[in-house]
Amino acid sequence: MSPATSMRIVAVIGGGAAFVIAAAIFLAAIGRPPLATLSQMVLYAFGDSYSLSESLVKATPILFCALAVILPARLGLITVGGEGQLYLGALTGTAVVVSFPAAPMILLLPAMLAAGAVGGALWGGIAGVLRARCNVNETISTLLMNYVAVLLVSYVVYGAWKDPTSLGWPATIPFPKAATVPGVFGTRAHAGLIAGILAAVILHIAVTHTRWGIALRVLAGNRKVAAMVGFDFVRQTLLVMAIGGTLAGFAGICETSAIQGRLQGGISVGYGLTGFLVAWLSGQHFLRAIPIAILVGGLIAAGDALQLYSKIPSASATILQGLLFVAALAASGAAGRRSARHE
Amino acid sequence: MNETEALAVAGSWVAAMLRSSTPLMMVTLGETLTQRVGIVNLGVEGQMLCGACVGFAVAAQTGSPVLGFAAGAAAGLLLSLIHAALCLGFDANQIGSGIAVFTLGLGLTSYFGRAAIGGQVTGLAPLAGANVAGVPFAGPILTQLTPIAPLAILIVLAAGFWLYRTRTGLNWRVVGESFQTARALGIRPLLVQAQGILIGGLLSGFAGAILSVDYTQTWANEMTKGRGFVAVGLVIVARWNPFYVLPVVLLFGLSEAATLRLQATGLTFSPYLISCLPYVVCLICVIVVSVREGRIGGMPAQLGSVFGSRN
Repeated sequence: MSPATSMRIVAVIGGGAAFVIAAAIFLAAIGRPPLATLSQMVLYAFGDSYSLSESLVKATPILFCALAVILPARLGLITVGGEGQLYLGALTGTAVVVSFPAAPMILLLPAMLAAGAVGGALWGGIAGVLRARCNVNETISTLLMNYVAVLLVSYVVYGAWKDPTSLGWPATIPFPKAATVPGVFGTRAHAGLIAGILAAVILHIAVTHTRWGIALRVLAGNRKVAAMVGFDFVRQTLLVMAIGGTLAGFAGICETSAIQGRLQGGISVGYGLTGFLVAWLSGQHFLRAIPIAILVGGLIAAGDALQLYSKIPSASATILQGLLFVAALAASGAAGRRSARHE
Repeated sequence: MNETEALAVAGSWVAAMLRSSTPLMMVTLGETLTQRVGIVNLGVEGQMLCGACVGFAVAAQTGSPVLGFAAGAAAGLLLSLIHAALCLGFDANQIGSGIAVFTLGLGLTSYFGRAAIGGQVTGLAPLAGANVAGVPFAGPILTQLTPIAPLAILIVLAAGFWLYRTRTGLNWRVVGESFQTARALGIRPLLVQAQGILIGGLLSGFAGAILSVDYTQTWANEMTKGRGFVAVGLVIVARWNPFYVLPVVLLFGLSEAATLRLQATGLTFSPYLISCLPYVVCLICVIVVSVREGRIGGMPAQLGSVFGSRN
């Protein structure tokens, strides 16, 4: 076994153990039986076909947002813009539906999805241009643009696109059948999940087996050397940020169409941030992000179920995500130190 | 408009600008000091939320705004301990750790903050009573401002003086530039970095408490609305210099005050579009200084590994 692999195993086991301990302490602190609640959460996440489909529903946007973090990370960029790109994709995709609500499915559905993807690409691309041309730190620009995108969605659903028949509820008209992303396996899980898994596989192959992947690796390692062999940092930055945005924007319009059925303010419950967490847990690896997104999706679905059945506020799921992130960072840091000492 | 009226309007603008920028002043100063020792902490957003939540709850319980400020600052400090432990104890990536701290702060405040929703606090008394309201220019400022705004300005000036004019301030700057030099001078870099993170935590928690106890006098989920992230951007604009924090934050506060005034005039403009302005203004400022980065400089060298240099 290579040192890197054994280090990874140590980190996963250590991080998992640290997370369970921290989660148990939190649950005990709020007066819940820790082990019983944790095992209940596993059941709520994956216990039966309904729970599983809810977990997959949550996992879908999370997976896309994780991919939107991982691809730029391959170039050494740290983006936290999944949330904003998701919202902008929902906005631009909905624009098509609001403009042509009576169009036939064969035109409306692809046009809506494409518009959503373009919106996300635009939002990611802006941060990319700023990074490549103006040297603006992409972490800060994406964080700020998240808030703008959320406000833009509020602007349209409270304003021009508000459905007059919705009795004051700020939302657009319900999406027609022709603009609804189809479900799969007869559940609420939708075709977006399959698209997300496909995207992860394609991106994995692209960065490991093509010249493009080599360009990203060389540029991330040493930009001067990369420039000498003709790899263009500006173009690649723009490209990875725009592709990342495309994925998150696609997730935004899928979520709006398949799950919400109309555009409204709270499309996402922090999917962008959760995607960032998943990207880190996966070690910025496209394929590993798939199972981790499903696990973390299960965590969020279990949080919803706990709120419904045990009256524990769903904010507890956010706390558990934070604890998971802290545990994972600590464990991989500790493992990294150990292996550094052995070298 | 005659001269008296103009002075009164100017006075109320200055007051509004100072009121809206005081929380931002403290959190930006805190992040500036943290970054001066070579650490980026995106967790300030979460720390500020914790400060706002705990500060509000304590002020509502005890009826004392001062206790609220102290409790808020302590809450921010406690949360920043996690960032210090992850970055310094475990060599974790600073951006990842900051987002983890932010997530924790977000979750903890929306979980435990439910109890504080709808609470009542009495803020600090204004600097002067209504009897001076008629005084040109100074009148509106003295009646609308609480002692917290002048205190914040004093803290910023003191921090700037400390950083550039004292021995320990010099030590901090050395740590931010070069670990090797610091070690050669007998400074323990990790100890100084830990202090930098904790001071940032203290000030961001204080900033949150100012926001909830003194400014809005309410608690709501996610009420900081990205002010902590805005602060991280403004640190870059202020070139990591506490003295520049003052004009940068005040200019920013002026734009915020202007948008509030625009809304108050009944202009039929969507409040959601207007609310975008702070983020857009901050982004534009960051763009302008980033383009001129090479000529202005000022970034502590140790930050290069986190922010990425232009290599």
